[in-house]
Amino acid sequence: MLLTTSKRLRQRGIVGMNMRNVVYIGQNNQRKFYPRVDDKLQTKVLAEKAGIAVPRLIGVARYQSHTKKLKEFLAEENAFVIKPAKGSGGKGILVITGRDGEYYLKPSGSKVDDRGIRRHVSDILSGLFSLGGKPDVAMIEELVNFSEVFDGFSFEGVPDIRIIVYKGYPVMAMTRLSTKESDGKANLHQGAVGVGIDIGTGHALNAVQHGQPLKVHPDTGRNLKELKVPDWPVFLELAAKSYEMTELGYLGADVVLDREKGPLILELNARPGLAIQVANNHGLISRVEQVEAELKKCQRTPSERVLFSMQNFAL
Amino acid sequence: MRNRLELTLLIVVLMVLGIGTTIYKINVLGFSFSPDKKETIWTVESRIDFNADGGPVKISLNIPDNRSGLVATERLRQTKEYKLTHSIGENGAKRIIWSREDTPKGAQHIYYRVNIFRRKSAQKAAPQKAPTSLPQLSQPFTDVYLEAATTLIKEAQNPEHDPVKTGTSLINELNSPEQNQSAATLLEMPRDSGGHLGLASDLLAQAKINNRIVKGLILSKDNRNKKLSSYIEIFDGKKWQLINPKTAEVEDPDAFLIWQQHNESLLEIEGGSKAKVRFSSLSTKILANQAAIKGGQQKHSWLIDFSIYSLPLASQNAFKILLLIPFGALIVVILRNLVGIQTSGTFMPILIALSFLQTTLVVGLILFLTVVCVGLILRALLSHLNLLLVPRISAILVFVITIYLAISVIGFKMGSEVGLNVTFFPMIIISWSIERMCVLWEEEGGKDVLIQGSGSLFTASVIYVLMKNNFIGNLTYSFPELLLVLLAIILMIGTYSGYRLSELRRFEPMGRE
Repeated sequence: MLLTTSKRLRQRGIVGMNMRNVVYIGQNNQRKFYPRVDDKLQTKVLAEKAGIAVPRLIGVARYQSHTKKLKEFLAEENAFVIKPAKGSGGKGILVITGRDGEYYLKPSGSKVDDRGIRRHVSDILSGLFSLGGKPDVAMIEELVNFSEVFDGFSFEGVPDIRIIVYKGYPVMAMTRLSTKESDGKANLHQGAVGVGIDIGTGHALNAVQHGQPLKVHPDTGRNLKELKVPDWPVFLELAAKSYEMTELGYLGADVVLDREKGPLILELNARPGLAIQVANNHGLISRVEQVEAELKKCQRTPSERVLFSMQNFAL
Repeated sequence: MRNRLELTLLIVVLMVLGIGTTIYKINVLGFSFSPDKKETIWTVESRIDFNADGGPVKISLNIPDNRSGLVATERLRQTKEYKLTHSIGENGAKRIIWSREDTPKGAQHIYYRVNIFRRKSAQKAAPQKAPTSLPQLSQPFTDVYLEAATTLIKEAQNPEHDPVKTGTSLINELNSPEQNQSAATLLEMPRDSGGHLGLASDLLAQAKINNRIVKGLILSKDNRNKKLSSYIEIFDGKKWQLINPKTAEVEDPDAFLIWQQHNESLLEIEGGSKAKVRFSSLSTKILANQAAIKGGQQKHSWLIDFSIYSLPLASQNAFKILLLIPFGALIVVILRNLVGIQTSGTFMPILIALSFLQTTLVVGLILFLTVVCVGLILRALLSHLNLLLVPRISAILVFVITIYLAISVIGFKMGSEVGLNVTFFPMIIISWSIERMCVLWEEEGGKDVLIQGSGSLFTASVIYVLMKNNFIGNLTYSFPELLLVLLAIILMIGTYSGYRLSELRRFEPMGRE
């Protein structure tokens, strides 16, 4: 079949782009709150205030004059990430995993000297990586010590868990695994694998690549059914708490798992995509309706909401 | 759902305003949806000759009464020395009055020219009141003549005939006295006035047929220096039918401009003598919308006075294109939100379509693809230099101009002039397109560039074809108020939360059992 019918999609409760924009985003996300998630520095400050676990902020370089003090500032830090606060598409992120005397080490093993770091920060400040070339600020944050539970599930890098939160209730989750085809990027329409994750258990549901179901990772050959997210309720609670923090009713939370600190929120998104429905083989509408019905009854704390979601949205 | 109500209300108001104005313009002002619809315009010129006594002169000319179906598009006075006024006589007859204080002695001429076209057919436009009583005979029939008349009427009358048929057969018999003794007798009857036509009218009245003599101009053929011709009108119970007294045939009233209905005087003069009037008429065809605009300007309709038609012609042409842009926006909205075609930049396709307007479609597509491809390659080389945004785009602009110059020169040497008809505007658009495509390439990869690029070009082509379409051009130019309807449609699509066509494909696996 080349096309399905809109009647069929409605039966399955699939949310389309127009519905997402007009109803979910249009009615739930106030424009004035967008900077809370679009500016990663603001997200971090808000999260730390709200007691939500995020990778620790080491420092911020706001002016070109700050670049001169970088060496001194970073003297105590071994592993860190420098990124633009308003960068897009993962551009301009410099990861330093360690030191070799005077030099900083990149994950690939290549060395960067002090001047290289300074130039990178200077590029971020002048807006090289931000959309429209607007001046930006550079954030320096602690490197996440990725847990090895996801080893072998991804071609490169470490997968994060995307959780859709509707008015504070986690409604759907997935993880995106990069492949050779996606060039190490976790972007589904570039060929990354999307794996739906059961809200009830944190176990993998089914996997899709290019919209077609598959069983094993195309590059590593690992059985995708074996993917299980540990500490799953903590993931969900982190995501649920970000609703109070951002006041955005339709929200995507990207959560990573640190070896020591457990789940950390890496990024929030005010316009999460719809591919998650394909990865879960389930539509969003019915779950959103359940949340709406529950909201009419009473106000709940984040952990109560997580409990509700785990009970009602398990498959 | 207060928002929803407000929006619905807004949409309804916009629709009613837009469609209402359009209907008004079609029905009352004579606009047409069809860009090629032509109207026949008649140029009627009257020339008055007279001998002035010297000193003040006042000349009045009866003008057509039955003008409700007619629209004057232009009035031309060629004789500027005379003051022109209008008057309405006691029986509703309208007259034009020329007056001048210091007319020199001798032969004088006055010209008056009107361009008119018929908006509605003459019979529809004129109130068809049934006459209250039979017309008075101008001269009663006596003795032999009464006998002859009675015989003729008896011959012509037939219970199956309606007044028009009886009337025409009476006129026919009167026209052939060599075959009919009674007609010959009647024609010998001495008459004070009216002549043959008066006789015919009296004879019809004797036969209890409502009739009247009208004078006017036949517009269907070109006339030069004609007097008004006299016709007979017969009331058939519903409406007046125009009969040619010479052929006894029913004529098309639309081609006849009735000048005198009530036997009023045609021309009156004070302070001169030997006045006579001659008419010339000429028919031409012009576009219906043009005629409607001119007619509206004569009538001082505010819809025409406060519209783009009041602007200088050069600006009107610019607005013709500007008015097409909202249409392009509608196409973008439909293709993006209902079909789900991805385009790079929301309104880039409209701009690309506008630049195609200067080159034609195929040439435009080839030029665009060539320049963008070469530009993309050069831009990729530039990206290693880590330039800032503005210098980067500026550098690309320089590239584009250079590539373009090269294409034009090489093309021209090879005998093609297609490269020569692009102006500055498309350059900027192409530069921006290249920049956008490059950013897209870096952020999303080459596949997305291909998808969005072809989506943009497809959308641009659709918009171009529609912009080039004569019908749509006429629609937006002749009915700018349709913009309100367009806005309403866009607002409606803005709240559409159903699936896009592309999503039926995207979520196809979800639709399976």
